[in-house]
Amino acid sequence: MSQDIWVVADLKLDGSLRKVAFEALSEARKNLIGKLGGQLCAMLMGSGVSGHTDELAKYGAEKIYVLDDAQLKDFSTEVYTIALSELIKKHEPYIVIAGNTVFGQDYFPRVASRLQAGVTMDVIDIGLTDDNRLKIQRYSHSSKAIQTQEFHSNTPMMTTVRPNSFGVEEYPVQAEIINETVDLSPEKISSKIIEIQTKESGRPELTEADKVVSGGRGLGSEDNFKYVYALADVLGAAAGATRAAVDAGYCPYDMQVGQTGKAVSPNLYVAIAISGAVQHYAGMGSSKVIVAINKDPDAPIFQICDYGICGDLFEVLPPLTEDLERLLAQD
Amino acid sequence: MKILVILSQTQDTEAKIKVSSSGDSIDTEGMKWVMNPYDEFAVEEALLTREKHGGEVILISIGPARCIDALRQGLAMGADSSVHIKDDVFADSDSFATAKVIASEIKNLGEFDIVFTGMKIIDEESGQIGIQVAEELGVPHVSLVSKVIDIKPDERKVVCQKEIDGGYVVVEVPLPALITCPDAMNEPRYASLPGIMKAKKKPLKEVGLDDINLESIGLSRDSIGKEGARVKTVEIVVPQIERKLKIIKGEDDPKVKGEEIARSADELVKLLREEAKVI
Ligand SMILES: Cc1cc2nc3c(=O)[nH]c(=O)nc-3n(C[C@H](O)[C@H](O)[C@H](O)COP(=O)(O)OP(=O)(O)OC[C@H]3O[C@@H](n4cnc5c(N)ncnc54)[C@H](O)[C@@H]3O)c2cc1C
Ligand SMILES: Nc1ncnc2c1ncn2[C@@H]1O[C@H](COP(=O)(O)O)[C@@H](O)[C@H]1O
Repeated sequence: MSQDIWVVADLKLDGSLRKVAFEALSEARKNLIGKLGGQLCAMLMGSGVSGHTDELAKYGAEKIYVLDDAQLKDFSTEVYTIALSELIKKHEPYIVIAGNTVFGQDYFPRVASRLQAGVTMDVIDIGLTDDNRLKIQRYSHSSKAIQTQEFHSNTPMMTTVRPNSFGVEEYPVQAEIINETVDLSPEKISSKIIEIQTKESGRPELTEADKVVSGGRGLGSEDNFKYVYALADVLGAAAGATRAAVDAGYCPYDMQVGQTGKAVSPNLYVAIAISGAVQHYAGMGSSKVIVAINKDPDAPIFQICDYGICGDLFEVLPPLTEDLERLLAQD
Repeated sequence: MKILVILSQTQDTEAKIKVSSSGDSIDTEGMKWVMNPYDEFAVEEALLTREKHGGEVILISIGPARCIDALRQGLAMGADSSVHIKDDVFADSDSFATAKVIASEIKNLGEFDIVFTGMKIIDEESGQIGIQVAEELGVPHVSLVSKVIDIKPDERKVVCQKEIDGGYVVVEVPLPALITCPDAMNEPRYASLPGIMKAKKKPLKEVGLDDINLESIGLSRDSIGKEGARVKTVEIVVPQIERKLKIIKGEDDPKVKGEEIARSADELVKLLREEAKVI
């Protein structure tokens, strides 16, 4: 077993790296690697991904393992589980970190089981105990509590980290690139991807955004979501939604913020026509500043926000969006 | 088809929580317990599957005596029988050990076709157990399934839609398989009164430590319970987030009206720039 730390990089639809890899590299450098003494490494898996090594080196990855295989083009639980498990078995890193993305959530627990490793999900803080066991913090109980958890001395110690929880800091290094191969031949794979439907929104990614504007059932229709998008675009924010809005078909599922959907922690969260249910709060309660627009003075959201306007969104949003547009244009 | 559901009991979502005096757990005194909300969707999906393809629905849970209520609720919704792994030594086991124990009990039930479970438990929110049970069973899993499109028992296949960033993917995996369920994939039925009456007569099997051969599943007394956990909670806090609660309201009516609207927008923008400094 080595003392190395691995950060598994995960890609967006457009083929770019997710910011969470840089966040994890920065935080691991700050809190873990000095004390552990191993090397900070990145694990890059995908198809046609080799070009991303420079970016990872910019954030301090001294060693970059690259597994470039056409079989990794689309995310398949089975293929990614084999790939990561085999490489961990081969190199025996001490700690393995990935982003708590839709993919991380799906295959990381499985890899951990295969390797008999301890694993935690969606953590917001990483450190070490005196005897170098991983120590993390995470939300629990619908985000009403924060747990501190310590790993047993078994290795590897595995965790996913919540995007937007750590700052990024450049730390350019000369990286050693190691090309890997794993037998992913189709005969070994029993699952099949039949169809993939994706569309880029052109807005920032919800979990990475510094500002988020979300709409609820009160928007009333898909067309009315233009009020949400207009404000989001003026602010350069990501657009989110409640489950009620998604259920009603006003917007796609990947916009859902909450216990089931995404967990976001932006500097600014604007909740438009959202009542403020516990399950929604679970996904946005750690935002720095929360703003609510709601016509019901008794809406629970008014008990959990910093600023708010009690009013009809259709009346309030146009002047609000215009004001902001004017102000930001002057800057 | 033999359809299984792994379910658990959890503290009510709305519950106010308080840390216990030991500082590493939540005080459960007087707590209201409910079936884990995501597991209701798993039970419903299992029942829908049985309606379409026939067969039986078996519920499995590991936990203290009170978990029987969650199992009874599942039986009252329409499941056929249940298995309760009940022994205090399993309390506070980590997901790794819990998954192994659940998987071994599933194997004891013989061949099966499909397993449904909730995407996560809303108190611990680990979101691991279902997936790890699948790994222990050596069967594929599909997580966060928004729709089970087709189950083909004869071809031994299941086709599901899974939500991903920017859209969705349709995947096909061989049976037996395990599926984790988010909310909104269906509408869980309520337990009817006749359902509740009938549930009282349905088989409730209990399994204890003595019935499980820990060594054969790679565990020992030292790897179960809190002490044996690969990951252990050492502290839990309930953070108090102070919010400013500055709500701009109208004069006569709480709702801003007429000229108040433009003024409220101006005021909010000013607060965001000068006080909160977020724009
Ligand atoms: C297991 C489980 C998981 C869940 N997971 C999630 C999750 O991940 N995310 C999530 O969001 N929810 C989740 N929910 C659902 C959650 O409980 C709420 O039902 C949901 O968040 C409510 O959405 P909403 O606020 O848009 O709708 P509502 O509660 O209907 O609120 C609409 C609000 O809009 C206001 N409004 C209406 N018209 C106007 C107007 N013209 N101007 C201003 N305000 C107006 C109303 O006053 C009201 O407050 C989950 C539920 C369960 C059971
Ligand atoms: N003690 C348990 N017994 C049975 N099922 C459980 C138990 N703990 C968690 N699960 C189920 O596993 C799924 C994922 O939970 P978790 O990984 O704990 O978030 C949920 O459907 C839970 O109900």
